[in-house]
Amino acid sequence: MKKTRFDLQKLVLLGFLLLIVVVFTILNPRFLSGFNVMYVFVQNSFVIIVGCAVALLMISGHLDLSVGSTACLAGMASAWFARAGVSVGGAFALGILTGLVVGLINAAMVVKLRITPFIATLGTMYMGRGLSYLVSQGVVIREGLPDGFSYMGNEGFGAIPITLVVLAVVVAAFLILERKSVLGKYSMAIGGNRTAAMLSGINTEGIVMTLYILVGAMAGLAGAMMASRLGVGDPNIGIGFEFDVIVAVILGGTSLAGGEGSIIGMIIGALIIGGLGNGLRLLNVFTFFQSIMKGIVLVLAVLLDQNIKARIRLAGERKRANNKATVKGGAS
Amino acid sequence: MSADTGRSETLLEIRGISKHFPGVDALRNVSFDVRRNTVHCIVGENGAGKSTLIKILTGAETRSGGSITFNGAEFNPRSTREAMHSGISVLFQELNVVNQLTVEQNLSLGKETTRLGFFRKDPHLVDRVYKVLQSLDPSIGLHRRVADLSVAQKQVIEIAKAIASDSNVIIMDEPTAALSEDEVNRLFAIIKALRTKNVTVIYISHRLREIFEIGDFVTVLRDGQMIGTRQLSELTGAGVGEGESTAELIKMMLGKMVAEHYIASPVDRSTTVLEMRGVTTGKLKGVSFSLYKNEILGFYGLIGSGKTEIARAIFGLDPKEGETLIHGQPVALATPEEAIRRGIALVPEERRTEGLVAKLALRENIPLMNIDSISRLGIFSAKRERRLARSYMKKLRIVARDENHVVEKLSGGNQQKVVLAKCMNADSRILLMDEPTRGIDVGAKEEIHNLIRELARGGTSVIVFSSELPEILNLCDRIILLYGGRIREIVENGPEADSERIMHVVTGGAEG
Repeated sequence: MKKTRFDLQKLVLLGFLLLIVVVFTILNPRFLSGFNVMYVFVQNSFVIIVGCAVALLMISGHLDLSVGSTACLAGMASAWFARAGVSVGGAFALGILTGLVVGLINAAMVVKLRITPFIATLGTMYMGRGLSYLVSQGVVIREGLPDGFSYMGNEGFGAIPITLVVLAVVVAAFLILERKSVLGKYSMAIGGNRTAAMLSGINTEGIVMTLYILVGAMAGLAGAMMASRLGVGDPNIGIGFEFDVIVAVILGGTSLAGGEGSIIGMIIGALIIGGLGNGLRLLNVFTFFQSIMKGIVLVLAVLLDQNIKARIRLAGERKRANNKATVKGGAS
Repeated sequence: MSADTGRSETLLEIRGISKHFPGVDALRNVSFDVRRNTVHCIVGENGAGKSTLIKILTGAETRSGGSITFNGAEFNPRSTREAMHSGISVLFQELNVVNQLTVEQNLSLGKETTRLGFFRKDPHLVDRVYKVLQSLDPSIGLHRRVADLSVAQKQVIEIAKAIASDSNVIIMDEPTAALSEDEVNRLFAIIKALRTKNVTVIYISHRLREIFEIGDFVTVLRDGQMIGTRQLSELTGAGVGEGESTAELIKMMLGKMVAEHYIASPVDRSTTVLEMRGVTTGKLKGVSFSLYKNEILGFYGLIGSGKTEIARAIFGLDPKEGETLIHGQPVALATPEEAIRRGIALVPEERRTEGLVAKLALRENIPLMNIDSISRLGIFSAKRERRLARSYMKKLRIVARDENHVVEKLSGGNQQKVVLAKCMNADSRILLMDEPTRGIDVGAKEEIHNLIRELARGGTSVIVFSSELPEILNLCDRIILLYGGRIREIVENGPEADSERIMHVVTGGAEG
């Protein structure tokens, strides 16, 4: 039963993505050009990188609103350290570490101090943003950055941008975490039934903390890459980024209550939103409409998903009722 | 007992009520009358059909057969709301009050009158309810926050609301389960006063003493059948001691009970596996006992006697004082993780909300208590997971389509087997089973009992916590009787085990 629902849901999502591709390609054949496709992937790689970790976190029934600010702070930290003379690689590593520390703070607040995830990460969202402004005194860090700083975000191995390589590595690693690791299995169990997981002796606190730290680290990585791509440390970057991530995860079939969802679904969700935005831009649709479309797609997709689930449940019940009628008192 | 009860007319006529669930007859041909302005008690063991009967009376379930006449008219409520409108209210164990509001706001809740969408104070309504409330318990102020009141006072508010909305019948389902002795006495005073307010009370309780104290009539149910209705004044009539009348009632409740399926386990009394000395928690008072190797030990008591609390204390879920020893070694058992590491596993009382991750497959649930059985260095093997699930499906005869079957779609008995498989896979030497067969049909029940016996023969020590006496008598080698968080007595099971005396002890009867 579960299998059919999962497949059906992903199929609907994929169909939706295909529809977008077909419609936009008809309207503007440039949409499906190699350059544009790669551009869409690069544009959305940050959402997908952070989304990988956030998907696992949300599957466990938790939430992180701070990833936009954290990414920004990590980018600022990278730029700041690079300007201060730290090697470019070291600066990026310190940026990722900054994200990881924010993740650790979120983890401690949610797990140890038992603050609702929504409130705790809303707090770090504001704090991270403020700290970014403080570090840069409100201006963009532009002068004095080494040349290598913008290398990672803009260069490539031959035709393949480094960003896409990083994206592929992160996605592969998280797919393994999701499908093969005990961590992924426990995330699902905790989101599905926290009490049962705890009574099974699972260290629920440790798992949830690990997930928050992973999210922080991925936000740090994405932030460092964004800064490199722009070649500056900009304290205004990543505003609203957390919602792009959450929208992709929810479009991908993860419920806010946890216990279900997938990384593949999240990736399709991110591509739907990203493809839609890109296509509208190619058609020179006014930017404000893109935001409206995003909202409509999100609500429609979730509505559709609910309908599918309800219908499958109904069908299942009917089938069971029939079974009962035919094999009365059969299986115990 | 008032002498005029004989004259009062019949308010509620229940005739041949039955209720079939798939595989189970919850009620079979139950008939009795409830007379106006009396306190009518319904007693019976767990699973006797009390809750089903309440649900039918309140419209939460529809009956499969029979008829109900209420106030002289045919009564077929289709919803709780409809039953309430016709004058039957229920005082549920889960109280229906809003803690954040004041007493006054609670009294008028759901009956607010509005003008243009704004609340309008209706002094008459509040007045009327408040008068009733005052007559029941003058100590409850109108402007106090309900959160600051005791459970008993909240009950009084609900009773007042029911009376003020012209209920003729108030059904009380185990109302004293969460009350202190003092509060019980106050509630009883209120119940007695209700007779003069033209209210009939249907009172459901396990505690026989209470029934003798406030009841006018008692109807006994057993296995969904009506055993009989007695006037309590007859039971306690002239020349009959309290002990004898209780015994009579217990006999009606239990029927002829013999532990026909009891098979002694090969208990090794020289090896104490687990020992607790003077364990005290919020609810337990100085609990001491030993568990032997290969033994099935039973804890029996009514709701609120402390069964689940003992399981929680052993499994490290509640902080406790006192000593715990495993194989003679003092241990803390402070968390479930530690308990599992030391070879203890728990089959919780509520399998759907505590035992299983319902949305996941059978295959994914079974290894949760011991992930090392399918993983190495944090990466698990889908193949080993599948093999593990299949082996337990075969071993425990779990009926499912395959190992990918989502557990929420399994029957209760098969779900319980999955929980058991999860515990067995944790290589536990001590297995705690809280209500091991609650809500499971007879066939699966027998199967699970056999599995428990098999485990005990194989070297596991099992503790069964149950509120079903037949289950305890069929399974356990020794039975520990609980009342009010204390151990009252430890009984050796065997052909001569006296079920009537056991009932007597756990219902709070005097010792000896």
